[in-house]
Amino acid sequence: MKITFDQTVIDLTPQGKSYRATIGDKTVDIEIVRAEAGKLELLIDNQRVTTYVSSDGAKRWVTINGQTVVLTKASGAKRRGSGHDHGSGLVAPMPGLVRSVNIEEGEAVMKGHTLLVLEAMKMEIRIQAPRDGLVKKLFVKQGQTVEREQVLIEIE
Amino acid sequence: MFKKILIANRGEIAIRIMRACKELGIKTVAVYSDADKNSLHVQHADEAIHIGAASPKESYLNVDKLMQAAHASKADAIHPGYGFLSENASFAGTVAAAHLAFIGPSAASIRAMGDKSESKIAMKKAGVPTVPGYEGLETEADFEQAAQAIGYPILVKASAGGGGKGMRIVWEADDLPEEIESARREAVHAFGDDRLLIEKYIPNAHHIEFQVFGDQHGHLVHLFERECSVQRRHQKIIEETPSPLLTPELRAQMGAAAVKAAKAVNYYNAGTIEFIVDPDTMQYYFLEMNTRLQVEHPVTELTTGLDLVQWQIRVAAGEHFSYSQEQLSQRGHAIECRVYAEDPSNGFLPSTGKLLQYIEPKGPGIRVDSGFTAGNEVTHFYDPLLAKLIVYGENRDTAIQRMQSALKEFIVHGVTTNIDFMQTVLAHEDFANGKVTTRWVETTLESGSLLPENRQQAVGLQSLIAAALADLTIVNRKSSIENRNEPDPYSPWKQINGFRN
Repeated sequence: MKITFDQTVIDLTPQGKSYRATIGDKTVDIEIVRAEAGKLELLIDNQRVTTYVSSDGAKRWVTINGQTVVLTKASGAKRRGSGHDHGSGLVAPMPGLVRSVNIEEGEAVMKGHTLLVLEAMKMEIRIQAPRDGLVKKLFVKQGQTVEREQVLIEIE
Repeated sequence: MFKKILIANRGEIAIRIMRACKELGIKTVAVYSDADKNSLHVQHADEAIHIGAASPKESYLNVDKLMQAAHASKADAIHPGYGFLSENASFAGTVAAAHLAFIGPSAASIRAMGDKSESKIAMKKAGVPTVPGYEGLETEADFEQAAQAIGYPILVKASAGGGGKGMRIVWEADDLPEEIESARREAVHAFGDDRLLIEKYIPNAHHIEFQVFGDQHGHLVHLFERECSVQRRHQKIIEETPSPLLTPELRAQMGAAAVKAAKAVNYYNAGTIEFIVDPDTMQYYFLEMNTRLQVEHPVTELTTGLDLVQWQIRVAAGEHFSYSQEQLSQRGHAIECRVYAEDPSNGFLPSTGKLLQYIEPKGPGIRVDSGFTAGNEVTHFYDPLLAKLIVYGENRDTAIQRMQSALKEFIVHGVTTNIDFMQTVLAHEDFANGKVTTRWVETTLESGSLLPENRQQAVGLQSLIAAALADLTIVNRKSSIENRNEPDPYSPWKQINGFRN
C-alpha cells in the first residue's frame, strides 16, 4: 500500500503482524508494539520509537522525541495546483482585520513596501511586497475581516 | 478574609488565581466571553458568568459588564490577573468606589507607574537610574530632533504601553516617520492613548526584573530577580532566576533600587521593577514598573518558597506581609518556558486551531500552569499563550536539563507551537553560558542556527512511518481495537502462549 506525504512516497507491506516500509531506497521493518488513540509505540528495525500522531483532514501531526512535524497527505485525485497555489497572490498569514490599505490597483510597488496592515491578536502584521511589481488586483478593503490564506492582493 | 473573589481574566492565570482562592477557602467567580464558553477556567470556578462577545472590548475589557458580574455574584473582591484591565487605574478606582477590594496596588500607584513618561520622570526624581530619552514629544519634527540628540538606534514606545505593543526599534532616521505612525496606531488601538516616548536603544542588553512585594502598612521588600532576556517581538518567552549575569553585589544594589522605586509611588501588593542591564558596563537602568502579577511569577515562587497569589489576596484583605528582607533568600534555580501557539519559522506568527492532542509533562520539579486541554479551540481573539512550563532544579545546569526533557514530553497537536524552538534555545551554548541578550533570538535566527529544521534528520523518516501506520490503524479499526485491549504488551504470558496469534 502506497501513501504519499508531501511528495514522499512510503510503501507499506504487511508481513504477518509486522510491516515492511520502503521509502526511496531505504527499507525498514516495523512492528506495532502498542497502539492507542493518538499514540503508537513502534519497533523500527528493532529500535523502540514512541510516536504521537493526530489527523486533521489531510494533515498529520507527528511528534517523535520532542520534535513535531506536520505532514500533508496527498489524496488520490490530484488537487495540487489549485487549492494552495496562490500564484502571484499575497495571502493573509492568519485570520484578522484589515487595519489599513496603503496601495491602489494599478500602483507600482517596490520590494519591501508595506502594502497593507493586518491586525490580529492585538498585533500589527505588515503585508509587504515580495518583489517589485504592479498591483494587479486588490481583494480587500479597510475594516474587512479576513480568513487565514485568503488572497489579499495580486501582484504582477 | 474575602468570601468570594471574581477573577476578571481568562486562561492559565485565571486558573492559577482560582487555585490560590480554593486553598484559602474562598469561593471563585469566573467570567467568560462567547469564545470561552468551553474554556478550562470556566470549569475551575465555583460560578461562571457570561459577560459578552469574543472581542476583548465586549467582554474582558468591559468594566460595566465586569462590575455587573461582581454585584450579581456578590463577590467582595476582584483579581484582575495580568493583561486586560490589570494595569488600568480607572478600573481599580471603579472597583474601590464600589466598595470591593481590588487585588493589586492602589489606583494612584497604577496611574503613577502606568504612564511610561510620568514614571520615568518620577524615577529620575527618586534617584533610580533611567535610560536616556525624551518624553512628551508631539510633532514629527520633535521626534526627529530628539532622536538625533540621543543618537540612533532608538526605541519608540507607547506611553501607556506594555507587552511590546506600540514598541518599535528605529535604526535610522529614514524609517522614523513610518515607525512612529505605526506605533501610534498600535498604541491607540491597544491602549486608547497615542502618546509615545523615545529613548536610547541598548541593543545587547539583558532584561532583568525585580519582584517587589508590599502590604498596606508600609512594609515592602524585593523577592529577587528574574532574568527575561530570551525575547521575540519584545515579549519574553523564557525566564529564569537567579540571573546568570548578576553578582551578589549587583543583585543587592538593584534590589535596593527596586525597593526605592516602588516606595516612591507608595506601592503595595505584587509588582515588578524592570531593568535593562548593559553587560559590557554592568550599568543598570529602570525600564518600567509592571503594577500587577507577572506572567513569570512562578519562578520566583519556586525559588523563594512563597505563594505570591495567596499573599496578594492576603495583603489585599489587610494582612501584614510577614517576612523581612533579611528573612528572604533564593534557593536553587527555576526556569519558565512560555508555550505559545505560534510559528517560530514564520516570524512567530500566532497559530490558531483546535487542539487535537495536548499532553503535559509530569515529574519531580515540573509545574505546568495551563489554560487549555485537548479539544479546546485556540482563537485569534486572545494572547496565544497555551501554558507555562516551569521547572525547579538545585542549580542552573540541572534546571536546564530538566526543562529540556520536560519540553520533549510536552505534546501539542493542532496548532504550531514554539516547543521545538525552545528546545533549540535551551540547547544553545549561548544560553548555557548566560550570554543571551534581548536581541539574541532575532540575530541568532538570522544566522540560521536556531531553526529546528537543522536538527537530526532521522526523525523525518520515522515521522513518515508513524503517519502512514496511523492511517492504517484508523482505517483498519479492528487492529487498533485489538491492540488497545492488550493491557500489558510486554507481559511474558503473551510470548509463551502465542496470545497475539
